[in-house]
Amino acid sequence: MSREKLRQLGIELPLFPTTSVGSFPKPDYLMKARADFAKKKINPQELEEVERRATEFWIRKQEELGVDVLVDGEMYRGDMVAYFAEKLPGFEEGGLVRSYGNRYYHKPIITGEARWEGPITVEWWKYAQGLTSKPVKGMLTGPYTIMDWSFNEFYPDRRATCLALAGVVRREVEALIQAGAKIIQIDEPASSVRPEELPLMIEAMHAVTDGLPAYFISHLCYGAFETIYPGMLDLPVDNFDMEFSNSGLDMLDLFRKHRYTKDISFGVVDVHTHVVEQDSVVEERLRRGLEVLPREAVWVDPDCGLKTRTVDEAIGKMRTLVSVARAFRN
Amino acid sequence: MELTLANHSSYPRIGDSAEEQLLRRTIAQREKGEKADADLGAAEEHMTELALREQIDAGLDVVTDGLIRWYDPISHLARKLAGVRITGLLRFFDTNFYFRQPAVHLRIERTKPLVVDEFLFAQRKSSRPVKAVLTGPYTLARLSIEEASPTPTNGGSGGGPRGAAAGFNRLLDGYTTALAEEVAALAEAGATLIQVDEPALLRHSSDLPQVERSLAALAARKGQAELILALYFGDAAPLYEKLQTLPVDVLSLDFTYSPGLLDRVRSGSAKKLALGLVDGRNTRLEDASVVAKQLERIARGAGLDRAYLSPSCGLEYVPRDRAQLKLKLLAAIKETFLGSNR
Repeated sequence: MSREKLRQLGIELPLFPTTSVGSFPKPDYLMKARADFAKKKINPQELEEVERRATEFWIRKQEELGVDVLVDGEMYRGDMVAYFAEKLPGFEEGGLVRSYGNRYYHKPIITGEARWEGPITVEWWKYAQGLTSKPVKGMLTGPYTIMDWSFNEFYPDRRATCLALAGVVRREVEALIQAGAKIIQIDEPASSVRPEELPLMIEAMHAVTDGLPAYFISHLCYGAFETIYPGMLDLPVDNFDMEFSNSGLDMLDLFRKHRYTKDISFGVVDVHTHVVEQDSVVEERLRRGLEVLPREAVWVDPDCGLKTRTVDEAIGKMRTLVSVARAFRN
Repeated sequence: MELTLANHSSYPRIGDSAEEQLLRRTIAQREKGEKADADLGAAEEHMTELALREQIDAGLDVVTDGLIRWYDPISHLARKLAGVRITGLLRFFDTNFYFRQPAVHLRIERTKPLVVDEFLFAQRKSSRPVKAVLTGPYTLARLSIEEASPTPTNGGSGGGPRGAAAGFNRLLDGYTTALAEEVAALAEAGATLIQVDEPALLRHSSDLPQVERSLAALAARKGQAELILALYFGDAAPLYEKLQTLPVDVLSLDFTYSPGLLDRVRSGSAKKLALGLVDGRNTRLEDASVVAKQLERIARGAGLDRAYLSPSCGLEYVPRDRAQLKLKLLAAIKETFLGSNR
């Protein structure tokens, strides 16, 4: 693990640090408030008050469960790309498109130059961090994924779009660091969509992170990683947060063939099933991971954001993974 | 060149209005036990009729059922086959759409129709010919895993190369046999246009001989129907000459990935072509006059008598309002093309 880097940043973590990917389910009272807001029954301040209440709920819950590195739970976000698109000039909200099954999202449309005009996530990070003494991750979506998950009606090509967005994301990273964030996660779930574009994604991530004093995590999920591994190890971040449970741990075969060289947030619970895994199932996944990965490098978390689960399921899954991580420490 | 306007395959299942949200709402209610299977079936039928109407209103000559009932292009077919179970989510090529991966644990067997009933419903409700759409055996095999094998194939990776290849061939053979039966059933049900989507071929072009054998098995069962091979999400230009020898009647090509494909097509085609010149993946609307000029170049160079004009891929990747505009754009392009050739 890049413990030295974390130590320099003033963060001490136990073996097998526990965390989560970013989103938690929105409690019923927040869902109702969001629906009321959409119907203009409540104003933005009233909605934000409920979002703060839900954020506090999840911060307290993570503390109670014994999670080591916390997230704000993204109570104020809908989709991970659309949220940023709503805040950035140059984007318009597009219509609904399907992500899988019966899940849909508003896919943004880039219609002008993307610009950073001020902090987007910083106030939420400060609020969440103010509720706990444990480190809270700053949570951003990476430029490659914002580019890939948006329609483009402005920039001439994907490269121009991605690099323009890298400049925007870097400004937000700088603002988070200035506010005190030490661990910043930059999600790139679109990383493997076009393997030939891996150099572009790496170039864009350099533009985002180079020279900045933070421990960087990148969440990658549900992709054909065999097409970009081991090249993806050149992405300038400290930790890859990856799903292993949904994919039957198949990435471990790749790690056997070519040594994995970063820290890893190892997804030990499946976020697409209602079933809360038994400890024994999670233990087996982690045990198999440790056949290939050094103990010092492994963080323990879910495959992906838990927002599609119920509150009870999400808590159950987090409780299980914390329990297993603690058992493995001993 | 005579142009026939044809939808490619999928159409958005959802839109902004309450009516257009019917299916999404009903599925959610079904999951909570608030609606029955019959309610879900009725919602699917309603949304299929709406998709058909929007295609016809846009001026299309050939429509599809919009694949409205499809959970995704892979598991919708695979889950109906014996010997297959459906597992976790994987990204569908380079889209941000996810499919559920089939795991094959026994011999693949077609024990019931896959899309015949859906085709028959759409044809009953449509005043225009309905094209039946199937994801092809090669793409199904590429995106499946074989559980029974000691060396999981997972698209050819994993296990030793020989074992993986044998496993993959078993999957391809199984899917080919099942889909050949479905092609026969569709032809018998009256389908005159049957499209087989094989986007995976453009990622594994060296597998063309395997695809050719698989398509030959399907072609042998197609009866009088026109068999269309649809290739998208990749550059077909390097394969263009070889595609001409495949046992299909029509090649449906995606021009959005391939700056060189237009020139290749201008050199001629032994097959009838479906020209995917309108981008089904982006909301930007093409200039009708620019696309009409591309058509003129193709018509002059290739000497084609007839062609289909289509989106580059299924339209489910764009919002419903844009999908409608893209279909209307096809009609505008045809009008411009015909105007300049009068």
